[in-house]
Amino acid sequence: MALRLVTKNLSSRISPKLCSASLLHSHATSFGFKEVREEEKSQMVGKVFSNVASNYDLMNDFMSGGLHRLWKDRLVSKLSPFPGMKHLDVAGGTGDVAFRILESVNSIKRRALQDPLNDDLQEETRIYVCDINPNMLDVGKNRALEKGLGEDKSLVWVQGDAEALSFEDNSMDGYTIAFGIRNVTHIEKVLSEAYRVLKRGGRFLCLELSHVDIPVFKELYDFYSFSVIPRLGEIVAGDRESYQYLVESIRRFPPQEKFASMIADAGFQKVEYENLVGGVVAIHSGLKI
Amino acid sequence: MYRTVVNRILLTKNTGGGRRCLLRFPDLRTAVTSSRFSTTTEPQTSPNRPLNPADSSTSSSSTSFQTSSGAGDIPRQERKNPPAEYQGEQARVLQASLRHVLRLGWSEEAMIAGAKEVGISPSIVGSFPRKEAALVEFFMDDCLQRLIDRIDSGEELQDLIPSQRIYKLVRFRLEMQAPYISKWPQALSNQAHPLNVSTSFKQRAMLVDEIWHAAGDEASGLDWYVKRTVLGGVYSTTEIYMLTDSSPEFRDTWLFLDNRVKDAFDLKKTIQEATYLAEAVGAGMGSSLQGFVGKVIQR
Repeated sequence: MALRLVTKNLSSRISPKLCSASLLHSHATSFGFKEVREEEKSQMVGKVFSNVASNYDLMNDFMSGGLHRLWKDRLVSKLSPFPGMKHLDVAGGTGDVAFRILESVNSIKRRALQDPLNDDLQEETRIYVCDINPNMLDVGKNRALEKGLGEDKSLVWVQGDAEALSFEDNSMDGYTIAFGIRNVTHIEKVLSEAYRVLKRGGRFLCLELSHVDIPVFKELYDFYSFSVIPRLGEIVAGDRESYQYLVESIRRFPPQEKFASMIADAGFQKVEYENLVGGVVAIHSGLKI
Repeated sequence: MYRTVVNRILLTKNTGGGRRCLLRFPDLRTAVTSSRFSTTTEPQTSPNRPLNPADSSTSSSSTSFQTSSGAGDIPRQERKNPPAEYQGEQARVLQASLRHVLRLGWSEEAMIAGAKEVGISPSIVGSFPRKEAALVEFFMDDCLQRLIDRIDSGEELQDLIPSQRIYKLVRFRLEMQAPYISKWPQALSNQAHPLNVSTSFKQRAMLVDEIWHAAGDEASGLDWYVKRTVLGGVYSTTEIYMLTDSSPEFRDTWLFLDNRVKDAFDLKKTIQEATYLAEAVGAGMGSSLQGFVGKVIQR
């Protein structure tokens, strides 16, 4: 796996990026390669995810060859959860990331049992799973029941919009968004909401399908995206359109550097990103001080 | 000076070493120009550094010495680029974490406790790329800075011969980690981890260099390397000896250190004698060889 990590002080080049971003989001926005009106995008995305919810995990495994599990593990290990943490996982309807965080907190708890000060902290751990789509949340709740976590007070399922979160300012230790930010209408709004709800020292982490730059690998990846994935979607999930949207929306998402500068513009410090599998996915992170 | 040279060398070697160095690079550059080395991101202008209870005597004295420092050292330059805000916060977290090391070890738990103490979300611990290592490295840098401050004060070292100076400086430095001695093996194993070894090696090199410099060493050439290697050996063996020393106030350790420093200075003499001997033997061999060759040619 080719790992590349770039840390940049991004504060110096704010203005040009801002202009282009605001132009892009004046009235029309993109839905895959199509230009659609802003109001329509959220509905169309909602439709896509309602369509794919039932087969979501199966298709993820098919498309990524199981790699998405490793990517999510990596995301959680970068987050380094701790007992007593208040965490918000946005667009995490199926609970994939939330379950991993909970698991990690529990294992830390076992290690830290010698510390008497930490004993009651585990009870205070809250992982809020926020998704705009109730169908996706239902999938997550069912999986929680299957895992025997149905009664766990640590998991809180919330239906909500990432652009207008219903949580208080400075209330979260961590914020993750995995494969979600690509689908929102206004990325800047999501970022500023993330900044708002985080405490000082809180971290923003974003796992997202991103851009491949390695020459030959890029061609292979494009072929795979545009020829294999829609067909796979048709065969496995019986839904070509949704997966066509998926691969197109990846191409419309800002490249790593650009997205990192957007995170910095939202006020985050120590903005870094790490490419996994040559940039097929990237983990961006930022720190609120 | 040689120490700036070695810093440059260490710097260029380490630029490929990963994200940490990328972050640190600007700091180190300014540090080099001001003849200070600090590998952490601690701002030098931190208003009131929280003191370590166990070391409060040395710390408080060092800060007061700092103002009265005038022992022929280059004055500290102001940074051109102030470090980013988060770096100051990270340093505060690490400083607070040190107070929890005795209870929780050099661990993520100690860092979480430290973050809680200064009122920052413990999530910040995740922003240290090599979590526990960051804590150990912060401590090493902090100690080095305190040692430099003490050297700058210059009072205790003036009328000592070099071997005594070396002894005293190594002892100062090791006394700083005495409060943490029960957890120090953990820190050592952390430093020896393949991911951390380059930084810890660099920090030790800087420490040894600083001590030699303070001892008034002006060596150049091969001697420079020999001296630093030997002192590195003395320092490390004493550090290890200290781990198992149960004598009151580490009396055995200081005796051990004294003997090792003497050994080292004896070794220096021995090496010099060996050099003279080698020269003499070489000269003798050379002349007899010349004679032999001369005889062969005559025939």
